[in-house]
Amino acid sequence: MTDITATLKPDPVSAAGSRPTRWRRGVRITLYVLLTALVIAYSMPGIGVLITSMKTNAQISAEGLWSLPNSLMLDNYREAWVSGNVSTYTVNSFLVTIPATLLSILMGVLTGYVFSKLPFRGSEMLFIFIVAGMFFPPQIVLVPLFRLFNTIGLYDTLWPMIIVHIAFGLPICTLVMRNFFSAVPGALREAAIIDGANEGQILLKVMLPISLPALAVLATLQFTWIWNDFLWPLIFTQSDGNRTIMVGLITLKGQYSVAWGVQGAMSVIASLPTLFIFIFFQRYFIQGLTLGAVKG
Amino acid sequence: MVRSRRLWTAGLLAVPLTLYIIIVIAPLLYSFFFSLTDWNGFNPEYNFVGLKNFERVFSDPLFSNAIKNTVIWMVVALTVPVVGGLALALLLHEGIRFANLYKSLFYLPICLSLAVIGQIWIWIYQPRWGLLNLTLEGLGLGGATRAWLADPDVALAAVIVAWVWQQLGLGMVIFLAGLTSIPTELTEAAQIDGANFRQSLRHVVVPLLAPSTVVVVALAVINSLKSFDIVYIMTRGGPFHSSDTLAMFMYNESFKKYYMGYGSAISVVLFLIALVVIALYFRQVRALEHLYD
Repeated sequence: MTDITATLKPDPVSAAGSRPTRWRRGVRITLYVLLTALVIAYSMPGIGVLITSMKTNAQISAEGLWSLPNSLMLDNYREAWVSGNVSTYTVNSFLVTIPATLLSILMGVLTGYVFSKLPFRGSEMLFIFIVAGMFFPPQIVLVPLFRLFNTIGLYDTLWPMIIVHIAFGLPICTLVMRNFFSAVPGALREAAIIDGANEGQILLKVMLPISLPALAVLATLQFTWIWNDFLWPLIFTQSDGNRTIMVGLITLKGQYSVAWGVQGAMSVIASLPTLFIFIFFQRYFIQGLTLGAVKG
Repeated sequence: MVRSRRLWTAGLLAVPLTLYIIIVIAPLLYSFFFSLTDWNGFNPEYNFVGLKNFERVFSDPLFSNAIKNTVIWMVVALTVPVVGGLALALLLHEGIRFANLYKSLFYLPICLSLAVIGQIWIWIYQPRWGLLNLTLEGLGLGGATRAWLADPDVALAAVIVAWVWQQLGLGMVIFLAGLTSIPTELTEAAQIDGANFRQSLRHVVVPLLAPSTVVVVALAVINSLKSFDIVYIMTRGGPFHSSDTLAMFMYNESFKKYYMGYGSAISVVLFLIALVVIALYFRQVRALEHLYD
């Protein structure tokens, strides 16, 4: 478990950077050229979507998708938000993502605490059994879960996504929290026990207040995966009013099949929350990726 | 004391474990069960058909087609993000100017949804005004232009390229984290001993990156087995099943044709393949642990 169960590592962004270089000049120039080409290849798609989202259909059909927009036009955003139901999809996505993120982390705190501080016979096996869930292709549970949610009347509501994301988030949350709690000195807990605290109080008053970095890592990771999820809402919802934004994007694609500008605006709106996390919490997000990289 | 500890253990594990069993483990076992039936998704009733679904799986040309495509996918996933990710990580770790800016750019796609990425790449591949065809024409390669996603010869490759665009950054991030954890004394010692860059890479850096490599490789394999979202959005497995992956094929059989029994059989095969990967992964990780203990 060398890599994935290691404790939080220093951030590669801040730790690297100022090291002596060993590249020779010729090699250096070639590398810079290659890097520049790659940078262009990596920026073009994003730039393309942004400029498309600000153009009218007439302009797109006259000048193509990749010409610059005439003005900073936000009509497409208004169109997508109001007539395209994107407001409903966005609300639904938040209604799924926020509770599922919080509850999956809560579950991980509970299991992580037990696996790190209250080990019992077979707990190591149980831990591996849970963590292995990260590797399961979701297809293995699609048909039975479809039947389950149909039977209990939750099909075509937001509940199946919340429930499934909590359960499928358990492996990564357990892993991160166990590793974090394991690194907390046992003396801290023993002192609390001597003071007469029970396990619940230790978890709540001793452990949680110092777990903020781990909680932040999990919050950024879980929010991103759950927000971006496409498969579960595709399987478990049917009516437009219950779609989350990623599936709504595809539904709208049919409705606005030639309105490229509106589609571009929808893609931008759908990506804003995770872009926000990427920009402001990048440090935690990257730490999480390198820790629990096995989820993807 | 012991008693209260036991009570707390049980109490803390109760809800998460119950949920995990109901939503992950029980459905997993149920898939094995449904794979022996002819359930159609609507009727509450179904019949047992024994191993018929599995007989069908192994004689279905569409299944072997999906296996072939998934293997191609895996091979690309094992080469480009692993080798490319390592190369990028090494380059950006060497204290190049604007390294942080480059890093951010390469891992930005990881935070985007595959639904959005698929959408973006559909536009790049668009035959009339897509970026790819326009660029080819601009370079005087007009003959190479085509309807990328509608051409059975290249549709799979086109989808994989879009996917790799996202995955490259993931490999890079993990290798970068591995590189930062290598003590500089080791590479410096190799230099003092007269090792050139290539020798120190081969004999010091790459062996020490083994834990990261295991993660990146496992990730590549598992993510190829899971490849669904981007296929669904870009081609739905078409044209003529040319970009069908196992996960896509399973979805189509279960939720488009409503052969839920047959679909379950496919998912069982998919799961067994994943199980082999999980076993290999944990064995590899164990071996590495011994190596470093």
